[in-house]
Amino acid sequence: MLIQTQQLEKIVETSEGPLQILQPIDLAINAGETVAIVGASGSGKSTLLSLLAGLDIATHGDVLIENEKLSDLDEEQRAKLRADKVGFIFQSFLLVPSLSALENVMLPAELAGHKGAEKEARELLEKVGLADRWHHYPNQLSGGEQQRVAIARAFVGQPKILFADEPTGNLDSKTGDKVEQLLFDLNKDYGTTLVMVTHDTTLAKRCQRILNMEAGQLAEASRDVA
Amino acid sequence: MWHKISFRLLKQELKRGELTIMALAIILSVTAVLSLSLFSERLQSGLLERSSEFLAADRVLSSRRDIPQEWLDRADEEGIQSAWRVIFNSMAFANDKLELVDIKAVSDGYPLRGELKVADKPFVEGQVTNTLPPAGEAWVASSLFQALSLEMGDFIEVGNSRFKVTKVVTYEPDVGFSVFTDSPNVIIRYSQLAETGLIQPGSRVRYNVLFAGTPTQLDNYENWLLPQLNDDTHSWRSIEDGDSPLARALNRAERFMMLASLLGVVLAATAVAVAAQRYCQRNYDVVAIFKTLGAGKQQIRKIFVLHLLLLTGISVGIGILLGWLIQSYVINWVAEQLGASLPSASWRPYALAIATGLISAVMFTLYPLFRLISIPPLRVLHRQMVGVQAIRWLQWILSGGTIYGLLVLYSQQWWLSTALFVGGAFAAGILLLIGRLLIGAGRKAGMQAGSAWRLAMAGLQRRASANSVQMLSFSTAIMLLLLVIVMRNDLLADWQRQLPADAPNYFALNIAEEKVDDLRAMFAREDIEATDQYPLIPGRVTHHNGTELIDEVTKENREEVERGDREEGFGRELSLTWRDTVPPNNEIVSGEWWGDNAEPQVSVEKQAAERLEIKVGDTLTFNIGGEVFTVPVTSLREADWGSLQPNFYMIFNTSTLADFPATYITSFHLDSERKDELYQLFRPFPEASLIDLDAIIDQIREVISQVSIAILFVLVLVMIAGALVLIAQVQASMEERQKELVILRTLGASGKLLSRSISYEFLMLGAISGLIATIAMDLSLLILQTQVFNMDATWHWRLWLVGPISGAVVVALLGRLACSRLVRRNTAQLIRKLI
Repeated sequence: MLIQTQQLEKIVETSEGPLQILQPIDLAINAGETVAIVGASGSGKSTLLSLLAGLDIATHGDVLIENEKLSDLDEEQRAKLRADKVGFIFQSFLLVPSLSALENVMLPAELAGHKGAEKEARELLEKVGLADRWHHYPNQLSGGEQQRVAIARAFVGQPKILFADEPTGNLDSKTGDKVEQLLFDLNKDYGTTLVMVTHDTTLAKRCQRILNMEAGQLAEASRDVA
Repeated sequence: MWHKISFRLLKQELKRGELTIMALAIILSVTAVLSLSLFSERLQSGLLERSSEFLAADRVLSSRRDIPQEWLDRADEEGIQSAWRVIFNSMAFANDKLELVDIKAVSDGYPLRGELKVADKPFVEGQVTNTLPPAGEAWVASSLFQALSLEMGDFIEVGNSRFKVTKVVTYEPDVGFSVFTDSPNVIIRYSQLAETGLIQPGSRVRYNVLFAGTPTQLDNYENWLLPQLNDDTHSWRSIEDGDSPLARALNRAERFMMLASLLGVVLAATAVAVAAQRYCQRNYDVVAIFKTLGAGKQQIRKIFVLHLLLLTGISVGIGILLGWLIQSYVINWVAEQLGASLPSASWRPYALAIATGLISAVMFTLYPLFRLISIPPLRVLHRQMVGVQAIRWLQWILSGGTIYGLLVLYSQQWWLSTALFVGGAFAAGILLLIGRLLIGAGRKAGMQAGSAWRLAMAGLQRRASANSVQMLSFSTAIMLLLLVIVMRNDLLADWQRQLPADAPNYFALNIAEEKVDDLRAMFAREDIEATDQYPLIPGRVTHHNGTELIDEVTKENREEVERGDREEGFGRELSLTWRDTVPPNNEIVSGEWWGDNAEPQVSVEKQAAERLEIKVGDTLTFNIGGEVFTVPVTSLREADWGSLQPNFYMIFNTSTLADFPATYITSFHLDSERKDELYQLFRPFPEASLIDLDAIIDQIREVISQVSIAILFVLVLVMIAGALVLIAQVQASMEERQKELVILRTLGASGKLLSRSISYEFLMLGAISGLIATIAMDLSLLILQTQVFNMDATWHWRLWLVGPISGAVVVALLGRLACSRLVRRNTAQLIRKLI
């Protein structure tokens, strides 16, 4: 079991009292699986993603990654875990604006202290079809190109898990399709476990499993329903 | 690895111009501090050197008794030059005539600063000489030729000695301004003093030793000497002591430079503070991305601390280079203008500039950096998330402490720094409050206006908190700028008023009463502008409210003074005069001028009155030539001692003094090209003594022109600092506005409407800031003029219009320029930039 949650809950304080964003969730994801979490806006899917990735802390319950409890780790250790095992793709790309495409791709490997980051980054940029644009800055690239850089960055250092938050949400459908294809191709090549939040049902259907989030409750959805 | 990332970020951000404002702010603070302190240090030591000529030395030790030779030997050991100057009054005889003269016995080396000029005939331009009269010879002032009907080569008798007159002294650097106490000078050698037999126990002699050396040598010597001096007999002076117009001009200039530089430092530091805040805010997303990608807090701290230190280091380096270039260029220019070289500066300005750059960059970034490092990784999903906000007071303490620290570091004056800081903090609080109130009022007015105005006012109101902080820095920048400009103008105007082009350059004394009309006629005929002719009667003040005044407080009579049986008086004979009207440049500060009242009475000059604690209604007893009488004091006057006009401690109404025999004094202006005529013009007035002030006036003008250039330079630097604060602040606020612009643009607002609403918003911000700045400026000026510069307080009504208008225009222009790029971009670009 690569990712596991035990009675995972998230409650936030609001001016009108506590608000339960996630009802207790038990979930298990195996290595190599591709999982889509679908649901309406505000249903809590991004919150779940942030808890799974150790970006946020659960109110109750636990997340285990390779049997390691995230609640036992402090912020530094969680960061280390992300550096070693996790890659990210975001709807808004989240590239560092002052770094070139190549430097953005190298970044996770460098932060993790890996040697040969540049070589690996160049190879990945070639795989996403941006070999000739490595020196461009994010604002010199189109949305699709930026997301391709983000995909390359996500795979650098060969993480075991890839978290994707609406990876095509900001792209037109044609570009979205291309990026989608690229993501799944690379995922297959690298054998990465993919956990993706989306409300694009077509995209969700390309995953092996679809989980439906509704008002903080997670349920396994049939592929037809999704 | 982290340092690679740090280097890379810095390199790319520098290349892309994202760090420009932060770098510029640091560069400017370093450049400003370095060039200002280098410039003022060099100029000041240049000025001091130049003005030391007025003392003929850097320091003068004066004593009523002989000065121990070992004190001079000690100076010699320190490497300090020294020379004797002994001055006393005596009668000089020649051609069966008798005249009271000032004998000046000087030793080799005199004058240690400045030059002595001599000529072969009286009343002509002299030539510089490096020698002194040989034994048996005397050099005498032009006026003595007149008084004793001397010809070159005649002998004058002084005491037991006879001296051959071989040169006319046309200029002595240390002649001073005291017109009444100085009789014509006779210069002889110090080694011949004893032979004259004139120095007896009890003689009124001023023993002076002149000293010249480097500041360090003089400081060392001062530390050794001062504890041994006796306040009653010794006085230790530099050019900055005393009440001469020059000393006052210098002191004022120095205070102005210090104050303006301090304001410049505060402005530059404010620019750094604004830029630092923005520098960190810009990196919030980057830190969130880094953390998401697995960077630990430690790693992030290292990356950004190194990034900041590198940026600071580079900026400080550039700042030092620029500062050095600017000041060397300016110094060369100034030196060229003045035909003089200026001494080189010490290491202190460099240390000060580097410290200012480092301290302001590090201290102002500390709190924003702390927040930056605490940005949670979750921000990648929730953009509104920011770091720890709880300890905002820490930021205020850090920023306040830094500014205060810089003030103290720069001025090395606790009281001035504390006063400026406390006053500034208080003003800042009030500014914040007024700003908010005005914004609130503006919102109500805006509701009734057109759409662009409505948007602008709504924007102002919505960002009230951010805006009032912004307004604080706008107001501060505008206020400091106005302050420096006005102070400069007032200072220059004040000097110019004292020394107009036609300022009197000669004093004529000793004019017989029956010749006054002839003299007046001569001035009219020759088209010479002269002041009124004042009668002059020597007399002593003997009693104050019946208590006897003594000339000198000695060991013997100190007890009596302490008991109040006797009071210390003027210590010398005074020149008394009478008049019907208040003299020009005099102002009654207490009591009333007599007008037609013929009752005997006297008007006393304010400073003299303060020294002797004389008030209106007190009585003073005078002794004129043996005749003793007592009169009440009916007014106190403030006299302008800077003006080159006859001024008097005591003025009587005509009926009190008119019967005493008097000689007359006047001052007049004669163009220097007409100097040759002087001898002829005064031939009919052989008894008159002339005192030539031209050389001194020229020297004062020269010093003042140096100071004016310095002040202009300071002004330019302060203006650049002020502009940078404005730009940094507008830039910072632009980022806050982006999101709003996108929304309005998406909703279909036209570019015209948006740029108008932004311009109006900044226009309002600028106008309010300008208004607040003007009020604050006029109040500060009031305090500065009266407390620091000893000038009269003036209101600057014109600025009440100029302040708000120029504030509005400049801030609106800057705002419009900064936003024009944003407005020009299409919505898609803007959206992409934001998300």
